[in-house]
Amino acid sequence: MDRLERLINLVIALRETRTPLATADIRERVAGYGQDDYEAFRRMFERDKADLRALGVPIETQALDPWGDRVGYRIDPERYDLPRIEFTANELAALSVAVEAAGLADRAGSGLRKLEVAAGQRLAGTPPPAVGVGLGAPHLEVLAEAQVARIPVRFAYRKPGEAAERRTVDPHALVHRRGRWYLVGDDHDRAARRAFRLDRIAGTVAFAGGPGAFEPADDAARVDAVVPETQPGEPQEAAVAAAPDVAWLVARAARGGGRARADGWTCYDVPVVDAERFVSWVLSFAPGVEVLTPAELRARVRTAAGALAGDGA
Amino acid sequence: MSSATLRRLERVLLMVPWLLEHPGATVSELAERFGGSPEEVLRDLDTLGYCGLPGYGGGDLVEVTVFGDRVTVRMADFFARPLALSVKEAVTLLLAARALAGVEALPEAGPLARAADKLERLLGADAAAGLTVELKAPGAEHLPAVREALDRGRVVHLAYRSESKAELTERDVEPWTITAHGGAWYLQGWCRLADGPRDFRLDRVRDLEVLAEPAPRAEHAPAPPVYRAKPGDPEVTLALAPQARWVAEWLVTDQVREHDTHLEVVFRAATLDWAARLVVSLAGQARVVGPEELAQRAAELARATRELHAP
Repeated sequence: MDRLERLINLVIALRETRTPLATADIRERVAGYGQDDYEAFRRMFERDKADLRALGVPIETQALDPWGDRVGYRIDPERYDLPRIEFTANELAALSVAVEAAGLADRAGSGLRKLEVAAGQRLAGTPPPAVGVGLGAPHLEVLAEAQVARIPVRFAYRKPGEAAERRTVDPHALVHRRGRWYLVGDDHDRAARRAFRLDRIAGTVAFAGGPGAFEPADDAARVDAVVPETQPGEPQEAAVAAAPDVAWLVARAARGGGRARADGWTCYDVPVVDAERFVSWVLSFAPGVEVLTPAELRARVRTAAGALAGDGA
Repeated sequence: MSSATLRRLERVLLMVPWLLEHPGATVSELAERFGGSPEEVLRDLDTLGYCGLPGYGGGDLVEVTVFGDRVTVRMADFFARPLALSVKEAVTLLLAARALAGVEALPEAGPLARAADKLERLLGADAAAGLTVELKAPGAEHLPAVREALDRGRVVHLAYRSESKAELTERDVEPWTITAHGGAWYLQGWCRLADGPRDFRLDRVRDLEVLAEPAPRAEHAPAPPVYRAKPGDPEVTLALAPQARWVAEWLVTDQVREHDTHLEVVFRAATLDWAARLVVSLAGQARVVGPEELAQRAAELARATRELHAP
């Protein structure tokens, strides 16, 4: 018999049964499993079960007696059926553009087709979008699955210039920032939260536990502490003057329009979230941007530039 | 594991709900929509006709009718819905949706935000909270115009300030694609001024105008917009303080050497001027190891800035 036929029959039997089916029931009743040799049947069933689960078919194992000595299997139709949250044609077309643009079309195609079928949509093939955001990264899917299901993971991690080290991590968040993917999680051996760059994970990522093994961390703010980002704080404002050739670049960062100065430079008000980053930004135009006020930031730029001038003046 | 069989199963589980909703669909339509050849689709439908509820008697089997090239499936209510999204599928779709929903300039942003909400409900909102995609980057205000030029196949005119030369140039570009890379948006295309393929960071575009002139389409997707050293580009060595370690990850480096107090990076710069402004902007967190000319240029820029900020 065709293996496809056996698998379809198994899905139907497990889905339509009211009580979990023991292996003996399956062997006896499901077409395709009538082997004389029990061991051969057992191996066949185990393999089918694993493959179906890998495909996403929710086969549940349930105890058939109070002591859990005998187990049976069934598929909960509620978990099998795609929930009735329907997507509009517009949303599906946009999703199709998004997965192409994200470079995830190969991996997202099967999910997208399920949604299209459920919506009864007959989507024309979308032309390759003219936008690319390249979100694909090694290990991304397995880590996302672990993060969502709260499964600890184990992997070898290599920092530049160092040998790879084994890490065991509770994955709390996956963050794409400044063009890179980071895993943010609690490192078991270091007993601390760490960020790991996905492109530095060597080899494969293995599950190191079962689902729900740790509590979710709702302190998303700490993600910012691990992955460098703008520090939260009271933004202040600085007045700057910009040379003609860079005025338009400074205008981008400014609040409101510019005021022309007699010497051809233009003055702008610029929000300052983090003083250090602001000084670095001013210096990146060296010497095309002058800080007018506040005096404290003006002095900081002067000091920083003086230290770099290298003439001791 | 016989993955061919599993792919067939996946196709059947997807095709049956569709067929229940669309009786009389043609074999070629099914093949096109669900993948595979018409022969393969027919073979799978044939197999399906032998499947059903245990007992496998008259009322238990799935009823598959192929009349001419039209297919009808009945008695398969257990497959009325597609299989629920796996966690992987839902997460992948959500990532893509969230990423582009955040780019407000794109026409898809609105529908994607709604799609992302629905995917979160499918996945469980708590679970989805740990997935963050941030594509916010300066220069995004040019995205709608670039997008328009791409959709209509038009040449764009740019006023562009290149980082390596620090000068504003005017040029016509045949646009190929918009790419987010390393925290910035790029327009990639054929530059008529340089007479070659070029990448333009949108935050350094001062003005962008969509011209009436048609532009040829890209023949293939361009390589990612990363700096590729050309022969003769100067080699630069910097010592980075711990706070400036990120520079080593951001640059395309030739060598990285770990020292007790600092990280030494060797890389090639498009111009020494560009490298000098990088050194100055790092405000003391980077020291020039070589060449000497770079150290001098950085010091000149610093002195000019100090004078500009005299008390």
